[in-house]
Amino acid sequence: MEWYYWIAIASLVICITGCIYHFIKLIKPGSPTDYSKKSGSTKSGIIYSFTHAMNPINKESAFLNLPTYISGVIYHLGTFLSIVLFFVFFITTNLHELISLLLAAFLLLSALCGAVMLIKRITDKKLRHLSNPDDYISNILVTLFQLGSGAVMFIPGLYPVYMVIASLLLLYIPLGKLKHVIYFFAARYHIGYYYGWRNVWPTAKFK
Amino acid sequence: MYKIDENKIKAGLDVLNSHKDSKLTTHLNSCVRCGLCAKSCLYYIATNDERFIPARKVELVSAIYRRYFTLIGKTMPGLINARKLDENTIFEMVDLLYGACVMCGRCVKHCSIGVDIEYVVRKGREMLAEMGYVPESLQSTVKAALETGNNMGISHEDFVDTIEWMEEELQDDCDDPDARIPLNEPGKKVLYTLNPREPKFFPLSISAMAKVFYAAKESWTLSTNMYDVTNYAYFSSHPGEAKTIAQRIYDEIHKMKAKRLVLAECGHGVRANRWEAPNYIEKEFPFDVITSVEIIAEYIKERRIKPDKEIITDKVTLHDPCNLVRGSGVMHEQRYILKNCVKDFVEMTPNGADNFCCGGGGGQLAMSEYNDRRLSIAEIKAEQIRKTGASVVVTPCHNCIDQLSQINVTYKLNVHIKTLAEIVADALPINNMLNDK
Repeated sequence: MEWYYWIAIASLVICITGCIYHFIKLIKPGSPTDYSKKSGSTKSGIIYSFTHAMNPINKESAFLNLPTYISGVIYHLGTFLSIVLFFVFFITTNLHELISLLLAAFLLLSALCGAVMLIKRITDKKLRHLSNPDDYISNILVTLFQLGSGAVMFIPGLYPVYMVIASLLLLYIPLGKLKHVIYFFAARYHIGYYYGWRNVWPTAKFK
Repeated sequence: MYKIDENKIKAGLDVLNSHKDSKLTTHLNSCVRCGLCAKSCLYYIATNDERFIPARKVELVSAIYRRYFTLIGKTMPGLINARKLDENTIFEMVDLLYGACVMCGRCVKHCSIGVDIEYVVRKGREMLAEMGYVPESLQSTVKAALETGNNMGISHEDFVDTIEWMEEELQDDCDDPDARIPLNEPGKKVLYTLNPREPKFFPLSISAMAKVFYAAKESWTLSTNMYDVTNYAYFSSHPGEAKTIAQRIYDEIHKMKAKRLVLAECGHGVRANRWEAPNYIEKEFPFDVITSVEIIAEYIKERRIKPDKEIITDKVTLHDPCNLVRGSGVMHEQRYILKNCVKDFVEMTPNGADNFCCGGGGGQLAMSEYNDRRLSIAEIKAEQIRKTGASVVVTPCHNCIDQLSQINVTYKLNVHIKTLAEIVADALPINNMLNDK
């Protein structure tokens, strides 16, 4: 096996270990204890939190910023696709030509969305004020990973470079803001639990 | 600037080092700084100042967390903006967490990740409170409550005088010399609370609620010992002081042997007593805790009171207190009441769980240091009210009443601001009550 495979596998192990560490840190203390009298349903609140509450119609941050929101969705879909392809590429990069073309086109689009968001982060005064090196590094690594996933299907010579990028990304996931891949689910759980307990979500009921 | 005492730093950091549950860890690690929360915040919309973006407030607290509790924050702080808890950070925290957040929770509902921004702000305030950096004006309100039993420092004599005066008003209003405002009567079903602003500045709202109780033939009492529904230590976020205040109501309802604690029209009072108090004292409450809004809706539903919607013909709109709708899930009751009490009810846009804060939440009304900022962000609420064309604004919160009254003058709205009980009392025909007697 080539050296870059070993680097990628080692990075993957470190990434998974780091993510498990974060996951254990989250589940170990358990759900919050609330001594107040429950007014709604925590189960319904949590379900709502992961479904309807994510609907752009119900989310001002989405419908007031629709282009950014859509770019974000495409970018995340591109990331998930790239992760799947990362495992597929261990077996083969020789996919059906049409499938390769479609996947590469989507990855190019998602990487473009990532690049636009990066440019926005640099040029928009408001976002620049909020940002720190972690934001730029995370975006650059993910965008390059997506571009690499698309390119490597047509330019096999890029494979070592692609694997190095993937390894850097995997090593960085548990350290910077990319660990929101775990914390996102915990945040939505907690917010659903909280609003569900208080009869705010799914929708306040008249008692 | 001066050097901060190490013990103070430790007290602040201990707040972030709590492992009671995973909620704090979750919310301190979740924000991706997308900035999409900006347009949900009154402060940012009104000023366009990027310091006021909710994510910026979260970042302030999580940057400290990263600096002291993560490996990369300890070794390479610059990479992830891990920040020391020093005088500059504390100065910025006080200004943004106390002075630029109404804790309305609007950003939480719309956060693309689901970060409980308001909770993080409260934790940041708790750090400052533990270190002794609560703004002086807010701390003096808490101190008054701790020392006198109510946040306005009203003496026992003054309170009793006001209640007796209001009892006379009630008797006149109901045309019944036997109508009463019971004081310190144990064994009644309901122990009612007040916002101290009522006896101090708006006593007619006491007689209005008394009229509702009178019409519903409720078994109720007030306590002269503990009637204050507010808990400003919820805003300063000092857990010890909040617990002391919460414990008093808990003890008083036991002393009065009442079955139901009815919380006056006060958004944060509802939140502090219904949701936070059991957690402050770490006990489940063996009695019912409900809002006056819910009990009035209950009376109308059960036909214990029969308001006449033909009496009030003015166009009426409703301001939703954040702590009632987003914080407590009480959203339909106030609308049900108004639809039964007024002929012409019009909603603000947006309303309900998406409503904008009046600008007086989060303890802002108690912090005179930020008065100009508080009134400048209120322009949004002023425009919301103006667009309804209503001549009466109803809100079930005395804090909001205060802020809306100031907005009314500042933005020349020329509207009447009323509590819900006042509207209901106005809609209760006296003849109807006398016939029912």
